[in-house]
Amino acid sequence: MRHIGGEMAGWSDATPTGGPAYGHLLEALRPLVQAGTRVLVAGPHDPGLVAGLPGELTCLVRGEQDADLWEDLPVAVLCGSLAKLTDQFDVIIALDGVARLCTVEGPQYDWTESLQALCRALRPGGALLLAVENELGVHKLVDRTVVTSAHTDADWRPVGEYDDKPGTPARLRDRLTAEGLTVSWLGSAWPLPAAPSFIADEPTLRHGPAGALAAAASGAAGAAYARRRVLSDPRRLSSAAIRAGLGAELAPAWVVLAFRGMAGPVRLPPVVLGTGPMPQLPPGQLLEELLIGACLRHDLPAIRRLLAAWVAEQPTATANNVLVDGDVFAVLDETRPRVEPAIAVRRFATTLLAGGYEQPWPAAGDTDSLTAVLLAAAGLHPDPVPADDEPLPAPDSLREHEERVRRLEEQLADAAARIRHVESELVVRDGELRRARLQIDMFSGKVGYRVTRLGARAARKAVRILKNR
Amino acid sequence: MHHANHFYGHAHVLAAYCGLDPEDPPRINGYLQHGWNVVDGLGAGTPYVSGRPVFVWSEQTRRRAWSMGRRYATTVGAPFLYLLSMAEPDDGTAREGTIWYPFHGWEGQHIAGDHQRLIDEILETEDGPVTFCLYWHEYRDDRIRRRYEKAGRVICHGYRGLRRRDTDTRFLHHQLGELRRHRRVASNRLSSAVLYGAAVGCEPAVYGDPMQLAGEVRAIAERIRRQWPELHGKSPDPVAARESARAELGADVLASPAELRETLGWAVR
Repeated sequence: MRHIGGEMAGWSDATPTGGPAYGHLLEALRPLVQAGTRVLVAGPHDPGLVAGLPGELTCLVRGEQDADLWEDLPVAVLCGSLAKLTDQFDVIIALDGVARLCTVEGPQYDWTESLQALCRALRPGGALLLAVENELGVHKLVDRTVVTSAHTDADWRPVGEYDDKPGTPARLRDRLTAEGLTVSWLGSAWPLPAAPSFIADEPTLRHGPAGALAAAASGAAGAAYARRRVLSDPRRLSSAAIRAGLGAELAPAWVVLAFRGMAGPVRLPPVVLGTGPMPQLPPGQLLEELLIGACLRHDLPAIRRLLAAWVAEQPTATANNVLVDGDVFAVLDETRPRVEPAIAVRRFATTLLAGGYEQPWPAAGDTDSLTAVLLAAAGLHPDPVPADDEPLPAPDSLREHEERVRRLEEQLADAAARIRHVESELVVRDGELRRARLQIDMFSGKVGYRVTRLGARAARKAVRILKNR
Repeated sequence: MHHANHFYGHAHVLAAYCGLDPEDPPRINGYLQHGWNVVDGLGAGTPYVSGRPVFVWSEQTRRRAWSMGRRYATTVGAPFLYLLSMAEPDDGTAREGTIWYPFHGWEGQHIAGDHQRLIDEILETEDGPVTFCLYWHEYRDDRIRRRYEKAGRVICHGYRGLRRRDTDTRFLHHQLGELRRHRRVASNRLSSAVLYGAAVGCEPAVYGDPMQLAGEVRAIAERIRRQWPELHGKSPDPVAARESARAELGADVLASPAELRETLGWAVR
């Protein structure tokens, strides 16, 4: 470890950037990294991410504790502030962005100044792989915390959207060009900047199969946000953005490969999903979305058609893992676990209710009832309604909570109205019953019998009185 | 839920369709639309309890019900179509004449029109024999019935029932049988009967004095004419009329027996 100045003793940056998708990008970058190529890994990165790269690796960290992470690796460690960096490199990897490169000591570079500093550290012809967090990305839109309010020790300068960071891919490209860089590839990354699992480049997002891409982004968001507290469901937002053609604009982060001077001879994959390139993208739209759309439109024939075809074609795949293109029902991700057909239907019922989606059977307000209706509509036997032993954890969304509260209030008011109605019916029926009993008594001779008995008793009493006199 | 669910034996037909005892239909978990209308599917004066589903015939009616504050409308289609799906196919016997439904109100409402003037217009228009189908309270009214008997055959499909009593549970069966004997179905107002007739292959027609109900505004009748012109007139295009009638009855939304059992709250667990 070499101290370059401005280093922070006893400091460590939380959650270094990593993830399988970035791993695959770096694999694709290998043609640029020969033995002897000088590579700078700027900022907190998961050591596993870059450990396999050939070349002379150097990493720049702010805290001395973070330097320890790299101890066992053949990596030179520079500890200190970006402002003190004087060396030059052939390749710079800055997938953590530039926000964690300056320390508390010395100048506090904004985004542009940080980029300029990195450019100065890049040899002519060198390559920069840079991630830029989108302050209006889906991850920020669903965040329940205020970015510009400081929460941790690392937030000594929580500028958030008040930084001079570019806000769109087009502006990012312009800003890099202005610094003398040539952008050769620009990808949009989901679901979180620090660990994306889905990255798609610009032409793919613009011209590729929107349904499959939306499904991939939604799936990535679902996995990353399971049980996490959010404002609204990031799955819906990601997917809607991509389908609407706003995928790149609302992506949590952008990743660019830029060269100082002419673009170099390297091709990055158009789409990365998980640990590798996304397999051939089937056309079509996600079954779950088609079903939700049909429910919102109250299109019963379409709902029944989709359900029946689903259980016939891909019965063990969940609705969020099936792409529908006309009559073709294809599985989106073969690695996701398969379930019983009835469980798959139940999970869709859960999604409908949890999301507060309008659907044609409003009286079926609980999962069991709605599952039963959907199973029947799908042509499956709804008896018994299956239990889901391993329900998929979903994002814990405030908006959906509000919807649920609203619905519960309605149900409560309805229940109260129903009780009032039933009580008044009860009064009417009690009256009817009383009258009916009276009639039964009359016609069964009971009254006559009693009258006779009373009369006989009175007569006996009279006789007794007379005798006693 | 509500006794109107038993009108015309609707609940009984649905029970048979669902594979349950048609003589003793279980309680429906909500309100079944018992006649074609241009409001929310519920009959006038039905004491609706919020939160209970209203089972309406068509998606259009569901939308209208929603706009009127009914949040629990569920589209199931008309019981008549469920009966049709269970009935023997039309045996192909040659159809003859017209079955004519003079417009009636429900019990308690009074008809202000002139029956004789209507009869004259009907006989002038129809070229074959005319069967007049009267509503039960007109059928029981000797003066009205005799007037129609002078002009043709007079029938009544039965008593729709009240508070679950005296329901002619085969009302719709009788109606289906009669409709299939006739080439045309007609009325002076668009009604369930005309739609049923059109759905089973009668050429529908709606003409003649609409006989305003006492106190009822003419605006509704005019609105109906504007919205469904394809079903009005002395001889509208039967193909377009049939299509429109089937849509009003919810021909495209009928549920399977299993789904209907779940929807009506008839599933036994």
